[in-house]
Amino acid sequence: MKLAGIFGARRPPLAPDSEMIRTLAGLLGETGLTEIEYAIGDHRIRVAREPAAEHPPATNGHAPAMPPAASSAAGETPTANGAMPAGTVTSPVVGIAYLAAEPGASPFARPGDAVEAGQTLLIIEAMKVMNQIRAPRAGRIARIFIEDAQPVEYGAPLMLIE
Amino acid sequence: MFDKVLIANRGEIALRIHRACHEMGIKTVAVHSTADAQAMHVRLADETVCIGPPPARASYLDASAILSAATITGADAIHPGLGFLAENADFAAAVEEHGFAFIGPAPEHIRLMGDKVRAKAEAIRLGIPVVPGSPQAVRDAAAAEAAARLIGYPVLLKASAGGGGRGMKLAGNAGDLARLLPLAQAEARTAFGDDAIYLERFLDRPRHIEVQLLGDGKGDVIHLGERDCSLQRAHQKLLEEAPAAALDPAARERLTRLAVTALRELHYRSTGTMEFLYQDGEFYFIEMNTRLQVEHPVSEMTSGVDIVREQLRIAAGMGLGYRQSDIALRGHAIECRINAENPEHFRPSPGRVSEYHAPGGFGVRVDSALYQGYTVPPYYDSLVAKLIVHGDTREECVMRLRRALGEYVIGGIETTIPLHQRLVEDPEFRAGAYDIGWLERFLGPRR
Repeated sequence: MKLAGIFGARRPPLAPDSEMIRTLAGLLGETGLTEIEYAIGDHRIRVAREPAAEHPPATNGHAPAMPPAASSAAGETPTANGAMPAGTVTSPVVGIAYLAAEPGASPFARPGDAVEAGQTLLIIEAMKVMNQIRAPRAGRIARIFIEDAQPVEYGAPLMLIE
Repeated sequence: MFDKVLIANRGEIALRIHRACHEMGIKTVAVHSTADAQAMHVRLADETVCIGPPPARASYLDASAILSAATITGADAIHPGLGFLAENADFAAAVEEHGFAFIGPAPEHIRLMGDKVRAKAEAIRLGIPVVPGSPQAVRDAAAAEAAARLIGYPVLLKASAGGGGRGMKLAGNAGDLARLLPLAQAEARTAFGDDAIYLERFLDRPRHIEVQLLGDGKGDVIHLGERDCSLQRAHQKLLEEAPAAALDPAARERLTRLAVTALRELHYRSTGTMEFLYQDGEFYFIEMNTRLQVEHPVSEMTSGVDIVREQLRIAAGMGLGYRQSDIALRGHAIECRINAENPEHFRPSPGRVSEYHAPGGFGVRVDSALYQGYTVPPYYDSLVAKLIVHGDTREECVMRLRRALGEYVIGGIETTIPLHQRLVEDPEFRAGAYDIGWLERFLGPRR
């Protein structure tokens, strides 16, 4: 999962920026991401916490738990990608993810909740359309990878169902 | 000027646009499919958004994913590049409706020129010559002869309902026409259930000549000269050059005046190209492309104008950076399209680029998103590089092209470089003596 620049800050200094690295490492823990690559111009910082592939892996388009709303996953990137655990629900669209139906309302799902197949897990707003992201199967919410109102790209990990 | 531009494309053209943006201090957002996560346009962009899986219809053609990406990244404007959504009037309109600037023509002009019948009618209204033809179907020999006399022989008999060459006959004189009309009618009736036949002037050895234009959308239009794009295979251009060797200054002046006058009247905005067939001193309008073209660098090399930079200026409401009197066309330029294809049978050749060395030196430009270790994905267009060279004369340009082609190394995949090397050694090519059928004849015996 690459989120280069989405955290859109100012141009980083030329020298390795230990504070930035610490911030990114903190974000890794907070968001549950396995890897963050932050780039502005030629300057790139990549932090990862699992041994990743030789290159930063492509966004996983072949998660076994692709939601029903997803476009056909047939014929996708053949590159192996071990970074995303089985049971990860990924985003079928580019947009803004919301964990609750409206601001202040209780979230659709919390870590530890048992969910039924087809139950709404979250909403992704794309072009003023609210797309309900449903659980592809029954299970327990092990992880939530995103914050409320976070921009997400296609294939971004959203939740992990065990 | 814009602060941030989203580039809704991939490959070398996305990189081309990125370069113009960065030279103007504009930040870029790359959108990409999962197949393009390692592409050069993604690696160099300030921000990136994955918009879908590999098939273009689910990524680069997905207007709502692109608009969402522009929204979440806070882009001011969208450049569609070429191909994909570049000539989709609905997309252009949606971009503007969502409050972004569209770096391209007005949606109504994209729509007008995208409809070939309306475009031809508009060309006639604007005083641009089109291939002469009978305005309606000819029902009998007398009507056909009268129409053919006006059009001029040789004439092509075409089925009104047709296509694919069925019912098509070539008549060199009135005798041929009288003999062939009933045959064409019978064939048309069998093939299409309609025996209506119309006539069109047959051009046996036309050149494809096009004019590069820039408009500010308020009635100011300039041209950057013409290009000869006659070297085509299966209607795909392979090599383009400027100026066109076939035109003398008077013909060039007539052509560019026609094109500029028409677009001034339309109040055309951004870049566009008017394409013509040229034979026996006459121009015939074919169509207009309402976008940046693959071969635009040819005109950049002879005019010194960065066309994408002008597009950005125009879209930001800053107008044209040049008057026509500022444009001095200089020397000769040639572009070779390098496709990831077998150079003899043209089968696509995607795969990993094991070695990469681009030519350089005086007068040489390479527009390519290739790098060593990159894998050319099988999902998209096979164009992987453009080699553009400039010289004071065509002779110097061809010699430089020959030298540069010899330096170019793209290992691991097949490319059309060997075909370009054969071309530059050919005496007819070196003499500039070719028309739109020439390349197919040149390739013919080897296939």
